[in-house]
This record gives sequence, C-alpha cells and structure tokens, in this order.
Amino acid sequence: MLSHIIFLGLFYTVLAVLSATVALSLFRAAQDFRARRAEAICWQATFPDLPARERVCRHEFTGEFAHRTCDRAFDCRECQTHAALVAERPPDAAPLPREADVFGLEFPLDRFYHRGHAWAHPQPDGTVTVGLDALGARLVAEPDAIELPAVGSHIQSNGAAWHVRKRGADVRILSPLDGEVVATSDSQNGWYLTVKPDGGQLDARHLLRGAEIRPWIAREMERLQSALAPAGQAPTMADGGVPVDDIAAGYPDADWDAVCSEIFLQP
Amino acid sequence: MTAITPKPARYGMAIDLDRCTGCGACMIACAVENNVPPARPEATPRTGITWMRVYQISNGASFPDTRAAFIPILCQQCGKDTPCAAVCPQEAVETDPATGIVDQMPQRCLGCRYCMAACPYHARYFNWWDPQWPAGMEKTLNPDVATRMRGVVEKCNFCHGRLHTARARAAAGGRRELHPGEYVPACVEACPAAAIVFGDLDDPASEVARLARDGQSFRLLEKLGTEPKIYYRTARPWVRQAAAQQRPASEPPERRLRAGLPAPQGSGQKEPAHA
Amino acid sequence: MPKVDSQLMPRGVRRSTPRQFLLWILPWCALLAFGLYGAGLCLVKGLNQTNMDNRFAFGLWIFVDLTVIALGAGAFFTGFLLYILKKRELKAVINSAVVIGFICYSGAVAALLVDVGQPARFWFTFWHPNVHSMLTEVTFCISCYLTVLFIEYIPIVLKNRKLRQVPSFLVFEFELHKLMPVLAGVATFLSFFHQGSLGGLYGVLRGRPFAFREGFAIWPSTFFLFILSAAAAGPAFILLTTWLVSKISGKPLVRPEVLPLLGRISGILLVPYILLKSIDTLVWIDSTSPARGFAAYQYYAWKPFGPWILFAEIVAFGLLPALILLRRRLRESPAWLLSAATLVCLGIALNRFVFTIQTLALPTLPFDPFMSYLPSWQETATFLAVVAYGVLLYSFSFRYLTLFPQEKDLSC
Repeated sequence: MLSHIIFLGLFYTVLAVLSATVALSLFRAAQDFRARRAEAICWQATFPDLPARERVCRHEFTGEFAHRTCDRAFDCRECQTHAALVAERPPDAAPLPREADVFGLEFPLDRFYHRGHAWAHPQPDGTVTVGLDALGARLVAEPDAIELPAVGSHIQSNGAAWHVRKRGADVRILSPLDGEVVATSDSQNGWYLTVKPDGGQLDARHLLRGAEIRPWIAREMERLQSALAPAGQAPTMADGGVPVDDIAAGYPDADWDAVCSEIFLQP
Repeated sequence: MTAITPKPARYGMAIDLDRCTGCGACMIACAVENNVPPARPEATPRTGITWMRVYQISNGASFPDTRAAFIPILCQQCGKDTPCAAVCPQEAVETDPATGIVDQMPQRCLGCRYCMAACPYHARYFNWWDPQWPAGMEKTLNPDVATRMRGVVEKCNFCHGRLHTARARAAAGGRRELHPGEYVPACVEACPAAAIVFGDLDDPASEVARLARDGQSFRLLEKLGTEPKIYYRTARPWVRQAAAQQRPASEPPERRLRAGLPAPQGSGQKEPAHA
Repeated sequence: MPKVDSQLMPRGVRRSTPRQFLLWILPWCALLAFGLYGAGLCLVKGLNQTNMDNRFAFGLWIFVDLTVIALGAGAFFTGFLLYILKKRELKAVINSAVVIGFICYSGAVAALLVDVGQPARFWFTFWHPNVHSMLTEVTFCISCYLTVLFIEYIPIVLKNRKLRQVPSFLVFEFELHKLMPVLAGVATFLSFFHQGSLGGLYGVLRGRPFAFREGFAIWPSTFFLFILSAAAAGPAFILLTTWLVSKISGKPLVRPEVLPLLGRISGILLVPYILLKSIDTLVWIDSTSPARGFAAYQYYAWKPFGPWILFAEIVAFGLLPALILLRRRLRESPAWLLSAATLVCLGIALNRFVFTIQTLALPTLPFDPFMSYLPSWQETATFLAVVAYGVLLYSFSFRYLTLFPQEKDLSC
C-alpha cells in the first residue's frame, strides 16, 4: 500500500508541477498584458534571436569596450554599466556641430536616435516628434504602404511605432519612447508621429546622440553593404558618392525583406 | 455466488512422466473445456494456443536404443515471486490466496505480452487472431468459461470454472469443504493413463502431497526460485537428467534431445546427430 | 504560394525553394503512407500480421522503441546541462534536441499503440497500476515526459516568424521560458526513471537468467546501466543528426566548437558506463547466472550470438569510441568525431538488441531449441512509417522554425 502511495504520489506531483508551470505562465502572460508590458516583452523575447552583429553595445561604438554585446535588449535606462560609464565620463562641455555628415547622409544632432533608425526630437511645447533617419528613409523610400497608429493610441519604447511595406518587406519601425500619439503625418512634414511622452518628459537615456552617431552609422553602412551583397560574395564598398534616395531601386534582385530586417532590427 | 470460505488450499499437480503416453487427450480436453478457439490455417506451433502442451523428448540414441518421453507443460502456478504477476502493468494477473491458483484476467489484459517474456515455462499464449468458431461449433462452447478476444494473453488456470461449480455444489449440499476429487481440472479427468494427480499440496493426506515429497519428484527450473506447483515424476534417469537438469554445460542440448516443437525455418538448429 | 512560404521561414537564413522542398518530402510521404498501411493492417487484422509469436513475444518494434528512446535521451540531457548546469554553449543545439526528442518519444508511443493487442485499453495501466512492475513505471514516466517534450516544443513553434507576430503567443512563450529550468528539472527526473526502468524491464526477469541482474534495492543493475548509456548516447546522437542536417541542407548550423563539445560529453559518460558494465558482466558471468542454474558461456554457444557480441558491445562500440572522444586532437577531426559518435550509437542499439531479441531467442527449458525471428514486412513498414514521420516533422521544423540559433550568425 505504501509503495502504491509513493508511486502515485510522485506522478501526481509531477503532473501538478507541470500544470502549475503552464498555468503560471498563462497567468503571468495575462498580467503582462494588463500592465501594458506586452510590447516590451515581445521585444525582449525576440532580441536574443538577432544575430550577434546586430546586438553590439553602444559603448563599443565609442571605443569604451573592445567587444561587447548588449544583453538587455538595448534598454540602457536600466543598465548599470551604462549608468556607471555616463557618470564616470560625462559628455564634453564643448558644443557639437549642428549635424553629422556620415557617408553623405545628414544626421541632425539636435535629436536622439534609436538603434532601429527612428529619431525622437523634443519640441518646445513638450511633445516629441518621431521620424525616420536618413538611412532608414532611403531604405523605405516611396513605400507601398504605411500603417500609422491611431491618434490617441499608446506606443511603447522598443515596441512597434508604425509599419511600412516596401517591395515585399513588411517592416515595423521601433518606437524610441513611451507616450500617447497626438498627431500623425506622412513624411512630408519631416516627421511621422507627434507624441506626448509618458511622465511629461522624454527619457532618452537609451537613445544615441552626439558623438555616438558617426561610429554607429559607419557600422550600419558596413552591415548594409553586407546585407546587399549577393549571397556568397564579399561585400563591395563604394569609394565615394552619396547613397541614392531609393536604395531599393538600385538593387532590384536583393531580398528587400532580409535587408530591412537587418537594419531595422527585426529578428 | 457462494458464501462459503473454505480453508485455504494450495492446489498443485504431480505428473508421472513414466505413465504419460503422449496421447494428447489432456490437450484436447483442456481446449474443449476452456473454449480455446480452433487454430487458423495460418497458425504455427508457435502461434497456436495450447494451455496444456505435451513436449516430446528423446534420449538422442539411434535405433534400437532410441527412447522417447513426453512432458506435459502447463502453467506451473508459480508460488513465489510469480514472474508474470510481478510484471503485469495492469494487475491482470492475480494469485488467489485461497487456492494458490495464478489467475489471468483477459478482460483487463492490454496485450503488452510482458508476462510472456517473463514466463520461463512459456506457458502463456497470445490471441494473435480473433477467436472464430466454424458455424455450428459454437454449440460446443462451455457456458461456464468466458471466451477471450483478440490481442490478450491467456493461460491455464486449473479450470477455475470447475472450482466454482464444485463449490456451488458443496454449498448446495450444506458443506464447507470440497471432497477430494470433487474438483479436478479437465486434463486430469481426461488422462487415460491417470498420469496427472491433482489436489491440495498443503493437505498432508492428499495423494499429490505425498507424491510431491517423493524422491522421484522434481520440478522444472527449480533454481530460478519460482516455486512451481507442478511436480514431475520419473524413475528413468535419462528423463530426469533431460528435464530436471539445467542446461547442459558441455554441448548445446539440441544435439542430444529433440523438443516437440518443429524448428522454424532458418533457426540455425541442426537435426540431432546420431550418437 | 512561394511568397507565403518564405514569410513563414525564419529571417536571415536561406532555405530551399518550395519545389526543392517538395521533391525532398514526397518520397518520405510515400514511405509514410506505405508504413501506415502496414500498421493499419496490424491494427485491423490483428497482430498475426507480424512474425512475432508466443516465443518471440517482443520483436522489432520493442527493440526499435528502446533504441530510439535511448538515442532521444539527448533532449533531456542537453536540457539538464544547459538549464541546470548552465553550459551555455549547448544553446546552439537545444531546440533541435527537443524536436528530435519529441519525434523519438512520440514515434515510440505510436509504435507501442500498434504493438499492444488492445490499444484502446491503454488507460488500464493508469487506472489499475501495478506499482511493482517496471512496465507501469515506464508507461507513467514516458507519458509524463512526452507531455513535457510537447510543452518544450510549443515555445519553438510559437517563435515562428509569423506566429510570433501575435503578441499573446510571444508573451506566453517569454513567461514559459522563464520557467524552463523547472521543466528541465522535471524532464531530467522523469528521464532518469524511465531510461532506468526500460533497463529494469529486463533486469527483473527472474525467468530469463540471461537478462536477470541483481542490483540495489528494487532496481537491478541494468536500471543504472541503461541510464548511463542513454546519457552517453544522447549527445552522440545529437552530434550525428546536427552534422547530417548540416550536410543535407548545405549550411553551417553550429559554431565549430559545438560538435566536439558534444563528443567530449559523450566520451566522459562512456567511461563510467563501460567500467560499470564490465563489472556487471563479470558479476553476472561469475555468480548471478550460475546461481540460477545457467552457466553464462552456454548462452554464447548459439549461432549467431557468439562471444563476439559481448566484445563488440563493450570494447568495439564502447571502449574504443570513448578513447577516441576523450582525445582533443581526434575530436577536432570530423572523420574521427563522427565515426566515434556512430560507434557509440551503434553500441547502444546493440545493447538494446541483446536485451530484447537475444533474451527471447535463448531457450530456458532444457529441451527447448534456440528460437529465431525475422520481422514481417508489416512490422518493417510500421517502423519505416515512424522514421518517415520523424524526417517529415523535422524537415518542416527545420524549414519554418529556428532549430539552430547560431545559423544566422554563420550565414553572412
């Protein structure tokens, strides 16, 4: 009788543990949705699936580390290493040039850039405009379709800000901030979204700015060249000239979805 | 059915190999009593159902010294660490403490055949086909015994149905105990040479208990420690050596004996060399 | 159609064209259909369609079941090493290992349902369990473990490129992944017991002195030997399958240090296994078998199972690959590594064969002949159906899911 109890007891325990595991996961998932953590989690869950070359830490760009991969999905707001480095080496007091020119692309330095090539530009009235940087814009120039979020909806940092479709590529542009969308526009105004940031002010700790832009874009151009090279061939480097306005048109045979996923960080 | 609780018995058999003529009446009686279905045309000696099965052995000598003996093998009703009961995952094998009979429940059997791998006496049989009786033969079925379905294991249970009938008759007569001989399995009843003695091994007065203690009696595969309740008796040394001894160490036994089972194709077994 | 197909594939990796893929899966589908027909015959007409009989109650299917379950042990063992012992390098193969484990166990269970005489009664074991029977333990454990494997397979599926766009799938997958060490722990516990009980199935057979072993408490030595051999075979099988998939797909799937690591793990586990197996064999020859009236060497008097089979199992397929896999220089040569891994897997198959087939072939009664058995075409077909099912499931998983996370890094 005792052996009967031990045997069945063990198995019921195992089944209970399994059911509890699945139930707990479902419960926690429901909680995540209620707490509006779902988008951040989606990004965190898929971030490790990005190739290692896409997960380079921003402090490798600026030379503070020889080799470092980000292990927190580019969320520098919570990163102790980032906080320590910023405290240790505060930025130069000298004023920066108005814009950086990297390989002929213009990057105004009055705004903050997300690794996914969206920028956030704080406006005097407290809102923040969000747009696509020079590189991103050239990748999805003359898109087949743009899906902007509804006015009044909420976007989350590292979540999807808006969707673009271009020649078979279905791209979601990552949002640089948390906030409520107060206005949308096509890119004729230079921006796509105007957002009222959560907490009244833009938290830009996880966004790139100033001297980080040049080394970052230099690497992005390298990655773009690799992505555009036909499979199996070595990448070729241009030896001058500005990238054309519509890069897709210049590479009719390239798998545009793969190229865009590479640059816009879609795993 | 009956409310009597007789004194616990330990039923066993003593089979006299010197009396067994190999006629096979026990095999037929067993099949008839227990509703064993007739073998399909495609059945082989290894797929047929024979709860009672008579093996033939010979002493391997050439004429005129050839001698044969017959060994009826049935479920040995192992009394200790019963191999089949220990391994059945569904507890479809039960030893009845009142009788010592190892009972098989085909209704609960899953057909995994683990018990068949476990039984060293190969006394368990599987229904490889759906049991089928030719038209008209269903009239010969014994109403006291349930038929089985395909895909389950079955074996000798000392004609348990006859035990129930005997107990009912005794109860109707106001008795608690069965008279000796009131309950005999079909094979015992059918044997024309009276080679099989059946009874309660724990009853010191019974014939079977006396025979079991006799020096001529032995059991198969004793060293395995399964305490079988079938005792075999012979005065012939070569029979005893062939059946009681464990596997001979010097040469493969097939060269000295020939079992009753025809060798299947390609088994690599040679015909016995003539000594 | 190709557009939809390519949208289901992981990003950043190359896959064959839909036409190439179709050409690949069609023969396997044909084999599956043929195999299902054979299995169907066994289910409809009865087990007389096989060549099993009252003497060979277990045949090809049981041998194959035990072998694939031992080879599929890579799933639990890799999970144990990764999630419990934190060996991060194995992240490269864990997804593939889980899929292979799922294929092995689901295939084995499917074959078992055809093998038993009354498949609809499968639940009897759960309702009337005989807690003293090794087969009860196997049934419970394997059912639970298949559930665990299914739960571990779900996150891999949910991370499919199209499915992960559904936020609730991804969030659930994320939360489930946080609890993966729990699942890995349960999987290890269950695997320990069922791999062992499969060995125990034969070690407890008092009626078969060839298989019977003494042991520790209720567990015969074969219980522990089967666990060790499965743990050694698992990584070797993952090594082989990873290499094979890499060869067939023509792409590098893991970094170069991963396969030698798997080989080293296998080698490390083989050493205690060979040692304990040798001791166990000597004890069996010297005392266990003779005590039950059977001198051990007479088992090997029957062709074709001569003493070579012992030598093959312990030395040729055990000690030899262990020595190869423990030398770094040899591990880093693909030819040596793969040969050694193949020997390990063959050794495990031979061990399972000896216990399932040789045990039943050898006579127990003094006047019994040696039995032989060859599977019927229906049995072989059923086995091939399981193989075809495995190849198809793996092919679809490889095409549409990320089985090898390092592939993206290696494909640029």
